[in-house]
Amino acid sequence: MAVVAVLYQIVTAEKQTNNNITTSVISKQMSDKSITVALAGNPNAGKTTLFNKLTGARQHVGNYPGITVDHKEGYFNHDGREIVITDLPGTYSLTAYSVEEIVSRDFLTTQRPDVVINIVDASNLERNLYLTTQFLEMGVPLVIALNMMDVAKDRGIEIKFAKLAELLGIPVVPIIARSGKGTDELIRQAIRIADSDKKWIPRDISYGEDLDEVLMEIIAAIEKASFLTERYHARFTAIKYLEHDDQMLTKGQEADQELARQLEQTVGTISDHLLKTMDVYPEAIIADHRYGFIKSIIRQGVMTHKFDTDRLYTSDKIDKVLTNRLLGPLVMLGILFGLYQFTFSWSELPVAWMEGLFSWLGAIVETTLPDGMLKSMVISGVIDGVGGVLGFVPLIMFMFFGIAILEDSGYLARVAFMMDRVFRMFGLHGSSVMPFIVSGGIAGGCAVPGVMATRTLRSPKERMATLLTVPFMNCGAKVPVLVLLIGAFFADHKALYMFLFTMLAWLVALFAAKFLRMTVLKGEATPFVMELPPYRFPTLRGLIIHTWERTWQYIKKAGTVILGISILLWALMTFPGLPQSEQDTFNAARNTITNSYSEAVQREVMDFNDNTDVLSEKALELKNRLKEIEQEESGLTLRNSVAGRIGSFFEPVSVYAGFDWKTNIAMLGGFAAKEVIISTLGTVYSMGDIDVDDADSLGKRLVKDPSWNSVVAVSALIFIMFYAPCFVTVVCIAKEASWKWAFFSMAFNTTFAFFASVLVFQIGNLLG
Amino acid sequence: MTLKELNKKCSCFARKLQKGSISEKCRIHHGPLSESCQAGKIKICKVTGDRKLCARMASLGVLPGEEAELICPQKGSQCLLKIHGGTLSLDQTTSNNIIVQSV
Repeated sequence: MAVVAVLYQIVTAEKQTNNNITTSVISKQMSDKSITVALAGNPNAGKTTLFNKLTGARQHVGNYPGITVDHKEGYFNHDGREIVITDLPGTYSLTAYSVEEIVSRDFLTTQRPDVVINIVDASNLERNLYLTTQFLEMGVPLVIALNMMDVAKDRGIEIKFAKLAELLGIPVVPIIARSGKGTDELIRQAIRIADSDKKWIPRDISYGEDLDEVLMEIIAAIEKASFLTERYHARFTAIKYLEHDDQMLTKGQEADQELARQLEQTVGTISDHLLKTMDVYPEAIIADHRYGFIKSIIRQGVMTHKFDTDRLYTSDKIDKVLTNRLLGPLVMLGILFGLYQFTFSWSELPVAWMEGLFSWLGAIVETTLPDGMLKSMVISGVIDGVGGVLGFVPLIMFMFFGIAILEDSGYLARVAFMMDRVFRMFGLHGSSVMPFIVSGGIAGGCAVPGVMATRTLRSPKERMATLLTVPFMNCGAKVPVLVLLIGAFFADHKALYMFLFTMLAWLVALFAAKFLRMTVLKGEATPFVMELPPYRFPTLRGLIIHTWERTWQYIKKAGTVILGISILLWALMTFPGLPQSEQDTFNAARNTITNSYSEAVQREVMDFNDNTDVLSEKALELKNRLKEIEQEESGLTLRNSVAGRIGSFFEPVSVYAGFDWKTNIAMLGGFAAKEVIISTLGTVYSMGDIDVDDADSLGKRLVKDPSWNSVVAVSALIFIMFYAPCFVTVVCIAKEASWKWAFFSMAFNTTFAFFASVLVFQIGNLLG
Repeated sequence: MTLKELNKKCSCFARKLQKGSISEKCRIHHGPLSESCQAGKIKICKVTGDRKLCARMASLGVLPGEEAELICPQKGSQCLLKIHGGTLSLDQTTSNNIIVQSV
């Protein structure tokens, strides 16, 4: 079910990027009286916080510009009215510079919501009103939500919202989205505007004599030919032509080639004239006049500063230190290492409790269920498989909590800024940091949202390079595997090794990106321009919600996909079983051994109770000899099973990397989901060891196994970190790029991982 | 000594240190933003580069004649620019194309 849900999300997301945003089932079910509201604004203005506050939806709120890539829909009731609200991606303008801007603009023009709530950051009014002017030019029914009034007050900024409303001619409602203050009034105003049933009337802003004249000429031509007027107002289309908006030019070409050519010629003439006389393009003049319009409003007593306007805010002062060329990277490394220490040292005890819980469950099943297939499936398939994955929930929770602090405080955006210099050297973009971090750059993410987060990158080649290399990061699914192997073979320096393997993941991903950018993805670099959000104290509620959301995803995955795969793998490892002739041989051997002891000893072994009885020397000897036979039989059954045959098939090749057929089974299972590696190892190494009380933890079992040592562990870690992404990620890559790139990703990653593992294993063996 | 007085004295000392360590060339700067090596107020003279970059900069308020505050000059590399109440991070390619003069 979880896989279906993920695939559904991918398909839905794809539909959205293709600008075919369809009204959701929810809105179809709504009555005619329902109101459709769009929530729009700059990144980090608080849209998602307000959306959560109004709908109660559990959606992630990040402090990174453009985290809301897709539009999200929710609904709620207000005074008996049903309201369907859409959270649009954060944008600075409505010109097609990025995917977010295209998505927002197309939503407004195709869906035509009853009202648009433009959320404006009161502490950064001038920049935020730039988008407002474009909504006014578009003519959408608008209400301004003046958010973060508390932050503005702290900065000594006083805003006369009534005056602003009067000058703009639209309602302005002061709110604090974090606390919900003012949201009731906001919704009342939104309903009032929606009910007023006004037509979309665009606001005329003058762009100077030269442009206004051309604008009138274009508008006349558009109106005469009804050119694109079914979706856009003539003035809006004319402005977009002047701004040289790629998407609008293409639409124009599709609608009327001849008129589009004429309009482009007219715009070309004025562009040449402006370049010659003023050395600027029309879009710069348009932007200048929009900012002029905003200033003319603000200077009419809308905003007053209590303090000196030139003073730097605390956030800027912190940036002087935290983004310093020398200090910045040192602080960043310190913070990331601190995150590891926090995660691994604090989670140790709860992880031990979880292990204890599953051991206890195993013991209960062991004593309750009769011997047979069901008992074997429950212990080897379910408890060892799912338990192994769920045991890491506390660790994952601590990791996500740490990441949420970095995200919500605004520090993660600074990491992107600092890393841009490094990323550029590898043919990537500073904005690639977010997909890398989401995928597990700070171990614990997931490649699926990481691949989706690459949509914020505007350059197709940098996007593709990021998309193909994010699966190299240590996602939340790989972390338990890393923790298991590092804990078992390098127990004394767990945090250090974990940190080193994370650094290795970064290095490999970056060099792989460089390789791709030099070969299959050659091309020019795209500029890195991003607005940094101010530093904010994260709210405990926000941190808890973000941590729980991600942890719950992990738990759900363990309870659905991994449970299914564990049982499937158990079946693959159990069937077809040994041929009857071999079973008879083992039974005969068992009978021979048993009959060689006296009846009293046989009875002692049969009646043996683990908790109360102590065996005599002879009985203990018989028990151990029978156990040896049982293990030999289980081993042979496993080798004869479907999974064993697959593992054995690959063994002649995998042996160069130090993997035997048992490890091969786990690696195959890992393609379904990386967590499955643990559950499969758990199942493989417990097949001959059904007696739970005698069983060591998986880590100890691996250390004791003759086919494992620290060199094999490092080789396995490297293979696990870098081989083919899990199948959900592969599907996601296919949806975001194409199946060709998805198959390329699987082949490229697996080939690289195998050769790297062989190299490590062979060198490790040579060095002894 | 109150905390305010101490802060004032420290700021004064820091300013003196800064003045001593920064060359005359740096203080009166006219050229690409990427070559600015002193934090402080600047005036944007011109935005060059391709059409898309100019348009993007314009929409973010980086326009000729606008005053801004350079927060983190990292000569020859990226920088942080405070303009229209927001803080923009710009890479070297972009800041090479923004011609500024110190105010």
